[in-house]
Amino acid sequence: MFHTFLRGLCHSIDFIVMLTGKAASYLMPLLAGIVAFEVFARYVLGSPTIWAYDTSLFLFGYITALGGAYAQQKRAHINVDILYLKVSPKAKSVFNIIGFALGIFFLIIIVKVSTGKLFEALEYDYRRESEWAPPMYHFWIMMIIACGLFIAQLARDTLNDVYYLATGTPLLKQKEGTHHGD
Amino acid sequence: EYNWRFSNLYSRGTAFGELYENLGENIEELSDGRINVQVLYSGEGVGTTGLLGAVKSGLITMGAPFQSMHAGELPAGVVEIGLPGGTADTDELYSLFHEKGWGDVLEEAYGSQGLVWLEPYIQPPVYILTKEPIESVEDFEGLKIRAPGAYGKFLRNLGASPVSMAWSEIYTSLATGVIDGSIGSNMIDHRDGNHVEVAKYMYPLPLAGAQVLPIVVNRSAWNKLPDELKEAVREATEIHAEQQLTKSQEWESEAIEEMKANGMQWSPEPSEADKEAWAEAGATLREEYAEQGKYSKQLIEILNETGY
Amino acid sequence: MGIELLTGVLLLCILIFFALGAPVGLALGGIAMAIGYTTWGEGIFNVIPTTLESTFFSFILLAIPLYIYMGQLLTKSGIGDAMFNASQLLLGRVRGSLAISVIGVCSMIGAMVGIIGAGIMTSGSIALRPMLNRGYNRRLALGVIMAGGGLGILIPPSIPMIMFAAATQNSVGRMFLGAMMPALLTIVLLITYVVVSCWLNPSRAPRDTDNNDEPAPTPKQKFLILRDGLSALLLIFVVLGSIITGIATPTESGAIGVVGAILLAILFKRFRPAMLQSAGFQTATLVSVAMWIIFGASVFSNFHLLMGVQSMVADLAASLDLPPIMIIIMFQLIMLLLGFIIDEFIIVLMCAPLFTPIAVSLGYDPIWFGVLMILNILIAVQTPPYGFALFYLKGIAPSDVGMGEIYRSVTPFIAVNLVVLILCMIFPEIVLWLPNKVMS
Ligand code: NA
Ligand code: NA
Repeated sequence: MFHTFLRGLCHSIDFIVMLTGKAASYLMPLLAGIVAFEVFARYVLGSPTIWAYDTSLFLFGYITALGGAYAQQKRAHINVDILYLKVSPKAKSVFNIIGFALGIFFLIIIVKVSTGKLFEALEYDYRRESEWAPPMYHFWIMMIIACGLFIAQLARDTLNDVYYLATGTPLLKQKEGTHHGD
Repeated sequence: EYNWRFSNLYSRGTAFGELYENLGENIEELSDGRINVQVLYSGEGVGTTGLLGAVKSGLITMGAPFQSMHAGELPAGVVEIGLPGGTADTDELYSLFHEKGWGDVLEEAYGSQGLVWLEPYIQPPVYILTKEPIESVEDFEGLKIRAPGAYGKFLRNLGASPVSMAWSEIYTSLATGVIDGSIGSNMIDHRDGNHVEVAKYMYPLPLAGAQVLPIVVNRSAWNKLPDELKEAVREATEIHAEQQLTKSQEWESEAIEEMKANGMQWSPEPSEADKEAWAEAGATLREEYAEQGKYSKQLIEILNETGY
Repeated sequence: MGIELLTGVLLLCILIFFALGAPVGLALGGIAMAIGYTTWGEGIFNVIPTTLESTFFSFILLAIPLYIYMGQLLTKSGIGDAMFNASQLLLGRVRGSLAISVIGVCSMIGAMVGIIGAGIMTSGSIALRPMLNRGYNRRLALGVIMAGGGLGILIPPSIPMIMFAAATQNSVGRMFLGAMMPALLTIVLLITYVVVSCWLNPSRAPRDTDNNDEPAPTPKQKFLILRDGLSALLLIFVVLGSIITGIATPTESGAIGVVGAILLAILFKRFRPAMLQSAGFQTATLVSVAMWIIFGASVFSNFHLLMGVQSMVADLAASLDLPPIMIIIMFQLIMLLLGFIIDEFIIVLMCAPLFTPIAVSLGYDPIWFGVLMILNILIAVQTPPYGFALFYLKGIAPSDVGMGEIYRSVTPFIAVNLVVLILCMIFPEIVLWLPNKVMS
């Protein structure tokens, strides 16, 4: 029963993170299109836009920040695996738990300060410093979501490793991944 | 007793950087060593656009920000620094801040965001550098010029197209012709960026005759100081303002000489009609900026009353 | 805690968490915040918002996704492969010829981009798979990508050079010219290394003709290979041209490359709408990984700078009491050591204004010193345990490549860079000849 609940939890986190990661990557063609359009507007039409610069930077932030959790799911984040590749699966799980804990700690701080910035941005109506001056608050909302999902993914991975250490059997099927570099 | 971190936007070892170093030393001296000041330069821990926020949050105790970088956070700062077409007369500016009430408005504006606003200082004018000589003001028509915020709007009124661009991209963009010109925060900025190597013509009319920049302190750090130390810090910022005024003029002329030696030329002297068109381009900006918040409005009202 | 002790503790923590295999970006950020909390207090968390804004709102870094996207589109449409197929058709008889064409393509990419990340990840996107598919030794292939991608900051335009020139009030034009001969020397030495090592060990770089099972291409196939290959090359020239003729900034030209890659694919009937998405998906992952490292590393170095590491380096530089050339060598060593913990931009921002006046007062040319600094940084970002270039390379490498293999694969190429550095140090003329000739 408990086991089923844990598996369900892991699968739901995986699903939401995957969905967000894929959705963010759909912005990539849009980003390239906007930057190319700015060149077209400036060089061919002779009138640079006031919105392309900030829009492309916002998209850049959205794509890369929101992609963090999904990259963790795919074990794409870079690590120095010299020792890691040589140790037993149990030791790997211990290593993971320590590393992920540090990561979760860092991400929680980002959520905390981003929340502070969000309220500040709403209170004082913070904007970008450009002529177009788009509002900033949505960037902080996005950061909170991005880090929240990243935390959820790391927690799910930690849970997986704790379960493995406690029971000696993996919580999820092997192909769903427990370790870096597997 | 008190450890302060003081950030500015200049690089370590530059002439302006030394002025901020002096300010730090003067605070230490005038406080009899009770305040210890660590001076941080460009890139050292805080980005240019993050400086104001860093002082607000107390990460940095004291900062010398460039208000255009924070136009979206504190719009009044853009009026404070000086809208294009504003006065360049240092006596008028001094009276504007200390007698006509700008100081009070700005104290409140910065205060509303948890900052203490200290003695401002004046830096030299903003000029525009172009690849081709500007024979008359009409030549600005269609030119692509890197100019942020209010300066961009001003140039748009003259028919130019303002372009947004990172500072480190200016050199290459001028060299290849992505842009036809760029403003610099002052002559020294143009010199440091080596822009004269790739664009030779300086337009004689400044976009802003003088720039007034603030020194801001985190409020809770300020409130921790006993009154005599607050006075000491204020006195140090007053000395700093004087040094900025004399030194920056000296360095500005040095920078001009150096750039001339590297091939810089002034565009031809503008005609009376040009000067008129130039002034007109700045006229609508005041109304536009007055709408950007109550402090901006108050500043503009005072400005219109004084006639500066 | 004094800054020396703090630096030691930070370094120790990095080594521990890197050894545990923690994700690099999160580990660097987490270490800085944990140590920061104990030495500074909760206030240090405020370094995060300003660092977030300065990393995510950087138009310079925006070059990274755009160029990778171009590379991914070329790869997915098969046009990237075609470029190397064509080069094989022309140079196939020379052993290691593919690696040599990769170095050539990387030089062109280096002339487009101005930062290391964009150089390595673009070169990797386009050129890694063709080498691996042909059975090239993996270490050779990875090393070539790293060395070729590093040319991004050595061949103009180069952002670190612009930063050096601004920080020390020197001519950017002279810096760009000064780096040309060292860049050329690097390219020649890289090619020499590839040729010699393939000659000594032929199995590292199989030739197409070694594989007798495959029938020789028909004239029609040959024509198609050449047509596709040359048009891919043409695209690269168009992107370069858009920079040189002033149509776009280096960052923006990445987007022009994306549009060009799509048009090429449509023209050669290789375009499928799904390609846009699958390439976008690969790009998003690669860039996300890179940006989380850049962000975590920036939090780390911003904390370290706020604690005053720059004054430690300044004191060290000032206290050196050695003969002039030894001081220059000491500076190089300090920067190499800093490269273990700090990234390329911060090294320039920190060391250029500290060291250059001393070097000039000793009678050395600032441009020469600046080019040495760039060469040095190039090495610093490739040296373990903490080198951006290593992480970029691992990001683009096949998933079963471990960090140990990355370290081993870059070693000979670091040696090439080191040789160039030493040659330029001994013979300043390599750097100064061209700028003196052109801009006397
Ligand atoms: Na380059
Ligand atoms: Na390194």
